[in-house]
Amino acid sequence: MWERITHWIEVRIGLEELVNKHLRQFRTPKGATFWSTLGFVTLIAFIVQAVTGIMLLLYYIPHPEHAFNSVQTITNEIPYGWLFRLIHNVGGNIIVAVIIMHMVHVFLRVSYRRPREITWVTGVLMFLLVLLACITGQLLPWHQTGFWQTTVTSTIPAFLPVIGEGISSYMRGGEFVTGITLSRFFSFHVVILPVFIVALMFLHVLLIRRQGLSTSPLIEPETETTPPDDFKRDAHPEGQPCFPHFSLKRLFMVMVYFAFLFFILTFFPNIFLPPEANIQADPMTTPESIRPAWYFLAPYQIIKTIPNDVLGISLLVIFSFILMFWPFFDARDAGRNIRKRPMLLSLGLIVLALWLIFTIWGMYS
Amino acid sequence: MMRYVIIPVIVFIALVAAGHSRASYRETFEKEFMLSPWAIAKGEISACIQCHTSDSMDPKMHQLVREWRGSWHAKNNVSCHDCHGGAPEDASMSMMHQRGFKGSPENLDIPGFCGTCHIAIEKNYLHSGHGKTFLDTGEGPSCVTCHGSHDIQRASMDIINEHLCSQCHTYERAKEMKQALFLVESKLNSIDKNLKRLKVLGIATERQEQAFFRNHAEFRALFHSIDVDAVRARSSDYTQKLEEIENEINESFKQLAFRRNFSAYLFLIFIGLSIVVFLLSKTYEEDKK
Repeated sequence: MWERITHWIEVRIGLEELVNKHLRQFRTPKGATFWSTLGFVTLIAFIVQAVTGIMLLLYYIPHPEHAFNSVQTITNEIPYGWLFRLIHNVGGNIIVAVIIMHMVHVFLRVSYRRPREITWVTGVLMFLLVLLACITGQLLPWHQTGFWQTTVTSTIPAFLPVIGEGISSYMRGGEFVTGITLSRFFSFHVVILPVFIVALMFLHVLLIRRQGLSTSPLIEPETETTPPDDFKRDAHPEGQPCFPHFSLKRLFMVMVYFAFLFFILTFFPNIFLPPEANIQADPMTTPESIRPAWYFLAPYQIIKTIPNDVLGISLLVIFSFILMFWPFFDARDAGRNIRKRPMLLSLGLIVLALWLIFTIWGMYS
Repeated sequence: MMRYVIIPVIVFIALVAAGHSRASYRETFEKEFMLSPWAIAKGEISACIQCHTSDSMDPKMHQLVREWRGSWHAKNNVSCHDCHGGAPEDASMSMMHQRGFKGSPENLDIPGFCGTCHIAIEKNYLHSGHGKTFLDTGEGPSCVTCHGSHDIQRASMDIINEHLCSQCHTYERAKEMKQALFLVESKLNSIDKNLKRLKVLGIATERQEQAFFRNHAEFRALFHSIDVDAVRARSSDYTQKLEEIENEINESFKQLAFRRNFSAYLFLIFIGLSIVVFLLSKTYEEDKK
C-alpha cells in the first residue's frame, strides 16, 4: 500500500530526483557541526512564528477597543489558543537568540568573506527586520507592557539628527501611541515585514545553494586563503551528502529548539509576559517599571549612559551600518582562521562582552 | 583602504548633523522616561502636594502628605482633591470655594464627607449604633475613629481590636462581630489573593473580579450596620456567592495545571525525539567511518 502511494507521488512529482539533486548531491563540507545548522533552525522558527501567527490572526481584532479582549479570548476561551499565543510569544524571543548565535558562529568562522558578502548582508538585514517584527508585535495585544515599551522604543529614533523625529512620528502616526499606531504596527507585523523577510530569506538560501556551505577554516585553512576571482561553487566532494548526514544534524537541532520552546512553556510560561501584560493599555497610567525587551536593553542602556543622546543614537546607527557591511570593512588579504587573527577575535569578543554588559546593566538599572 | 576613509566620514557626518537636530521628542523622552522616576503617581503632580511639602509650610502639614503617600487611597490614585475638592492643577485657584474646595470637614460632617464615595457604607453606618450615637452626642465613633484620616489603610478584620474598640465599650461585643465576620472575610481574602495570582499568570479574571467587588462592597456595607444578627443571617448568602467565584477560580487553576502538563508532555516528546535523532546521526557517521 505504502509503495503504491509513493509510486503514485513519484510518477507525478519525481520526488526521488528532487531529493537526489537537492539533498544527496548537495554536499556539506567536512567540519560542518551542529552550530552550522542554526540558519536552518532560524528558518523553522520563522515558519513556527508564521503558523502560530496565522492561528492568532483568526481571532485577533486590531482595534484599541477590542485588541486586548480579543487576545484574552484567544488565551482563555479558544481551545488551545493559549498554546498558540505562548508559542508565538516565546518563539519570537527564541528566534532573536538563534539569529544572534548564528551570526556569532558565522563571524567566528569568518564565513562572511568573499564571495559570501551578500549572504552576510541579507542575513543582517533579516535580523534587523525580525527585530522590527518584534517591536511591532509587542504592541498588538494592547496591554500595558506593550503600550509603554512601544512608547519608549518609538521615541528612541527621535534622537537621530534631522530625520529622527520624522521616523518617530511615522512609526506612531502622530505624536503619541494611539489606534493609528496599532493599525500601522499591525500591517507591518502581519504583511509588510514578513513579505520582506521571506524575500530576503529566499535570496539568502539561494546564495547558500549556489555557493555551497563554507568550509571551516580550522579544518581546511588552505582552501580559502585566496578568495576566487571567478564564480566557483564549493561542491565539497570530500564532504558528506546533505541527506541524510547533515539533515539529521539539522533535525536534531530543530528538536532541541522545540524542546527548549516547550521547556520555557512548561516552567516559565510568563517569562516574556510580566504582570502588566495582563492589564489593558492605559495611556493615563504609567507602570512602575518599563524596560524594552531583552534584545533592546543594550541599545537602550547605551543611549541612557552616553550623556549626549545624539552621539548615543549615532553610535548605534554606525554600529548597525558597520555590522551590516562588515565583509567590506574586513581586511581583504587576511586569512579566515580567526585564531591567527587576534585583532579580529578581540574585536568580536569585546563587542559581545559590551553587548552583554549593557544588557545586564539595562536589566538592573 | 576604503574602510579607513568611510568610517571617519560617517562619524563626522553624524556629529555634524547632530548640531542641527531639533529636540521636542527628545525633551519629552528625557523628561518622561529617562530622568523622572516611573513610579510617580498622577496625584503627585498637584498644587496641594507642592504647597503642603514646601519649606514654608508647618511641618505638621508635611506629615499629612507623608501619611497620604503610604495610604490605600494613594495606592488607588485617590488624591487630595478627590476628598477636599479644589483645583489641584491651578495653584492660585486651588483653594477657592468657587472651584469646589471643601477644606477639612467639621466633626459632624465627616460621614457625609467620606460618604461621597462610600455611599452604601454611610447609609448603614448612620442607621447603626455607632452612627446614632455619633449624631446624637457628636462624640461617638465616626469614620476616622477606626480608619484614620490620611493614613487610611485597606480595611481588614484587624481594625476590630481590643485597643480600638475598648475606647468606647467592652471588646466582647466587638469580638462577637469579628467571629460572625470570620468565615466570609477569610473567603474574601483568599479569593482576592487567588484572583491576583491568576491575573499575573495570564488568566482573564475580569468577570470574577466584578462579582468579587460587588460581594465585597455589599458585605462591608452590611458590616457597618454593626448588627451581629444581620451579619450572621446574611453570611450564608455571601458564603454561597463567594463559593461560586471560588469554583471558577479553581477551574482556572485546573486549566493552568493542564497547560503546564500539556507543555511538559510536548517537552518530553521533543527531548525523546532529539535523543533518537542524535543517535541516528551518530550511526550514519560511524557507518561512514
